[in-house]
Parts: sequence; C-alpha cells; structure tokens
Amino acid sequence: MDPTTELDIGIVGLGTHGQHRARLLDNAGQRVFGADASRDARNQFDRQFDALQVTDPAGLFEMELDGIIIATPNKFHAPAAIEAMERGHDVFIEKPLAHTLEAARTIQRVAASTGQLCLVGYQSRFLNVCKILKQYIDEGFFGEIRHVETSYRRRRGVPGRGSWYTAKEIAGGGALIDIGIHVFDLLLYFLEETDVSEMMATTRCDFGSRESYAYLDMWGEDDDANMFDVEDSVSAFLSFSGGTTAAVEVAWATNAESAHQYHIHGTEAGALLDITDVLNASTDVHQSLTFYEARTGGAHHYLDSTVTTRPNDPYVAQMETFLEAVATGNEPSINTLEQALAIQRLVHRIYADNDELIE
Amino acid sequence: MDEGVSDGKTIKSVENAIAIMEVIAQTDEIGVTALSDRVDLSKGTVHHYLTTLSNHDFVEQSAGRYRLGLRSLTYGGIAREREWVYRVGKDGIDRLATYTEQTARLAVERGGYAVTVYQSTADSEPVGDTHLGSREPLYASATGKVLLSAMDGDERTRVLDRADRAASTPPDRAQLTDELADIRRRGIAFDDEDNNDGIRCVATGLATEADQLLGAIAVSARAESIDDDTFYETLPQEIRNVAGVIEINTTYRGWMD
Repeated sequence: MDPTTELDIGIVGLGTHGQHRARLLDNAGQRVFGADASRDARNQFDRQFDALQVTDPAGLFEMELDGIIIATPNKFHAPAAIEAMERGHDVFIEKPLAHTLEAARTIQRVAASTGQLCLVGYQSRFLNVCKILKQYIDEGFFGEIRHVETSYRRRRGVPGRGSWYTAKEIAGGGALIDIGIHVFDLLLYFLEETDVSEMMATTRCDFGSRESYAYLDMWGEDDDANMFDVEDSVSAFLSFSGGTTAAVEVAWATNAESAHQYHIHGTEAGALLDITDVLNASTDVHQSLTFYEARTGGAHHYLDSTVTTRPNDPYVAQMETFLEAVATGNEPSINTLEQALAIQRLVHRIYADNDELIE
Repeated sequence: MDEGVSDGKTIKSVENAIAIMEVIAQTDEIGVTALSDRVDLSKGTVHHYLTTLSNHDFVEQSAGRYRLGLRSLTYGGIAREREWVYRVGKDGIDRLATYTEQTARLAVERGGYAVTVYQSTADSEPVGDTHLGSREPLYASATGKVLLSAMDGDERTRVLDRADRAASTPPDRAQLTDELADIRRRGIAFDDEDNNDGIRCVATGLATEADQLLGAIAVSARAESIDDDTFYETLPQEIRNVAGVIEINTTYRGWMD
C-alpha cells in the first residue's frame, strides 16, 4: 500500500479499544470518524480527536468510508458489523468475534452474502517473536510437536470489575472470552489446527466478585463488582486431531505470578515464548523467545538459544494489515473470519460443557 | 346524576365509571346492590353504567355479579408496549426470577405510584400481592422507595404531600428521608418484612447514563425461604447484575433493532 494514501476509517464504539484504534490510525495519518451510543464514550473521544461525531452508527454507515472498526461491547459486535457490511462497508471487529457462537455465525453469513471484508482483531500473531517461532515450527526445527504448555494468567487483572466486561449477557463470558481466546488463537496458528478432538475444561469464579478484591493496578475502571457473573479462571486440556496435546491455564486473577507463556515441547527441540503483559500498560507485552535442545557432540550437552529481534507493536502491524486490505480489497491470510470462528467454537464448547455441569 | 361537566375540568360521569371499575377491581366481583352502596349512586344509575361498560367489554356479568372484562387489558397491553424500559428489561426480569428462584418485577413511577409493568416468578405462586399493573404508593415498598430516592427534592416533596392527603396513616417524613439517603448511598433498598409480614424484598433503580431514572427492579421472597446472607449479599448481587445489563442494553438499544 502506498504509505501516503489517506483513508477514512469509521470507528463504532469509542471506549478504551475504540480510542486505542483511533490513536493508532491518527498516528498513521488516517482520518478517523467515531460513533457510540454512549454519551460518556463520545465525550471522551471528542476530547482526544478532532473528528466528526455522530451518535448513531447509522449516520456513520451513510458516509463514504474506506473501512469500519467495530469496538463496541461484545454483544453489539454482531448488529453493528452486520449493518455496516449490509451498507457496503468492509469491517474490522475487535476480538472476540461475538459474544456467542450463534452471533458469530450470523456475522459470517452476512460477510459471505455481502462479499465485504471482515477481519477479526487477534493481535498476537503480529508480534515478531510469534512470527519467528512459527517460522521455526514450519521448518521442522522442533521435530514433532507433542505438547504445548500454555498459560495466560494475571495475578490480579480482572478488567473493570462491574463493567460490561464482567456481565455474561454483554461480554459472553469472562477470562476465557477476554484473554483465553488469545491462547487458542496462537495454539491454532502454531499447530495449524482448526479444531480440537478432545477437551476437558473447568471454569471458576473465585476472586472477581469479592468485595475485598486486592489489586495494584486495575485493568479498566473498578465498579465494585456491580455486575459480575462470569468466570475468572479456566483450566483446559486439549487434544488435537494430529495427536498434539495442550494444557491451557487462563486467569484474570490467581495467586501466582502473572504470565503469558507458551512452552513448545518438540521431539527435537523445545521453545519458550514469553509475551507476558507489562504491568501498567494494557497493550504492551514482554517479547522473548528461547529455544532448548540437547546434543551429543563432543560431550552430552544442553544448548539454549536466545532469539534477539526487534520488539514491535502488534497493533500497529495489525492496523497496517487492515488498511492495506481495505485499500486493495484483498483478504489477508491473518485475522480471518475462519480463524475467529474456530476460536469461538472452542469458547462455546467450554462454556456449554461447564453450564451442563452446573445444571 | 350529573352527566355534564362538573367543575369545568373533569367529567363526572367518567369519574363515576372509573370509581365503579375501581370497586370491581378491588372486590374481584360484586353485585349491583353492594356496588351502588360503595360508589354512592342509585342502583338504577349503577345498572346503566354497568350495561354501558359491559357493551364495551370493560366488565363482564355472571349470575348477577360483575367483574372486570378483558378490554382493560387491551389498553393495558398497548400502554405497556409503549414503555421501552419494559421491552429492554423484560428478559432480565425473567432471568432474575430464574436465578433467584423468587418473584422479580419491573416497576415505573407514574403520578406518585410505583406501577408494575412486568412480573416474573420462578414458582407457580408469586410472592406478595403485586401483579402486572398493580400500583402502590412510593413510600410503601422497597421498589417505590428506590424510585422516590432518585427524585429531586421538590418533586419528592410534592409526591409525599399528595400521599399525606390520600393516606390514612401518612409515612413518618424524617424517618423516610434518612431511609432514602441510605438507599441513594447503597444503590439498593431492603424491605425486611417492613411492609408485608413474611415477605422480604430487595430493589434497585435503573438509570440512563445521564442519570435519568427509568424504573426499578425488585426481587420478593418469602422470609422463611431465604437466609440473611441471601437477603443481604446474593440477591443484591443478582439484582445489580441484571440492572447493569438492562442499563447497557438501554444505552445501545438503537443498535439492536
């Protein structure tokens, strides 16, 4: 894409994520237009960006725009995205695709019938360390990957207790649909799988609704657990059709060090990818990658290699991909609807299994 | 009977018809003689009213006794559909009833009364004597107090002054003022058998982002069916969950059409 091309991008949903996207686009020299039904969100957005304001997304959809970003609370992804696509706009939907599998499938049907581009915002694949790891996996550096041990846990990181993030009907779930989905996204990416053959998973709610919730940094606004009816941790054991297994630990809150890590256990070598969240920065992560081997040359020895690369902002790379897609009309191979639906199916399966257990 | 305009503002015969409907509603069903005593009109006049109302299905007659007809429901249904807080809140009330296994309701304020626009119950038998369309003075229930607590001072004074004139035992104004301040601070109103023996009720308000009050939601439980922990912790949490969701759905209601 010609870097000087100036595009007009509409943002539906002007909360934290909408503002973040707007900032990235503004920095990249794009024109940004916003819409939100929430007056508070509109006011916040207005203070930060010199952009046209419209209350109703319908007003935004009537404009000649190059693309629309949907960053509303999860429940409203489907109605906003569907209307945008039906009005002839390409869309980028913040993760998760939708709050339920049913709504996700409706989005897919409309994308297919309208022929509009529909990207879904899973940013981790854009990290340089993730791309490098994937390259070594594809080369066969690790031999056969037998198991992946993953964890995405925060010591205390419930996003905005009492906000829509912690209301099942609006968010669709808790820690799993908020951060667990990133683990599924990377697992499916690394292993080139689209489905899980067997799975056992447990969801819990132990910390988030406590009045005595102790924390150092709140992710978002704390509303004293006004609304809280979602899980704050999940443990899952997955078995893929190719025989690889994965252990998944996800927690918004747990009594352990925060981590976002992937241990790749291959027959020839292993790896540890560490992309743990940087405290105080909701969009910044550590980026380290280490390889582990055992060799016999000379004398038996272990060989550990550290990958040094340029840390990058995955959101910037992701927005560049989106802008190029809407400018050229070509669907990228990353952040596709199919990938997002595969994740949504896994999320749905875990919630359905656990609801059954409760009943 | 005066068929004309009684004081230049209201029509006496309409007032009479409403008074007759009110007595029939309170008594469930009633004969002409008893009815004429209650509304202070002659039997013959009451009979004319009943025939007129009956012709339009506002009342029904069975074996010489009169009860309300379903025509009122026709207008009630239309009036309720127009209340969008009902449309946005209905599912939440059903969920609240299911989760809590109690009776949940949604009420709005009209003319100094809390009017129930939707009620849902997990049991076959609802808790308490509220029902769809039931009205209670705002000071007389947790639900009403939530609505009262959100009013500005002048409006509250007007409502309470009117209530004083209508009630046989007006509420203690100073005590009520303290109670409303508590409700505003906590965001939750508790009724621990204060208004109805054997019934505990928890209520909270629904407001827009601009703090405009939309209505109140409440859960009523038979006192013996819930312990203190459920009353003071679990029910408030469930109610907050549902109220929060209704408020978000209200903000984004234009997007769901």
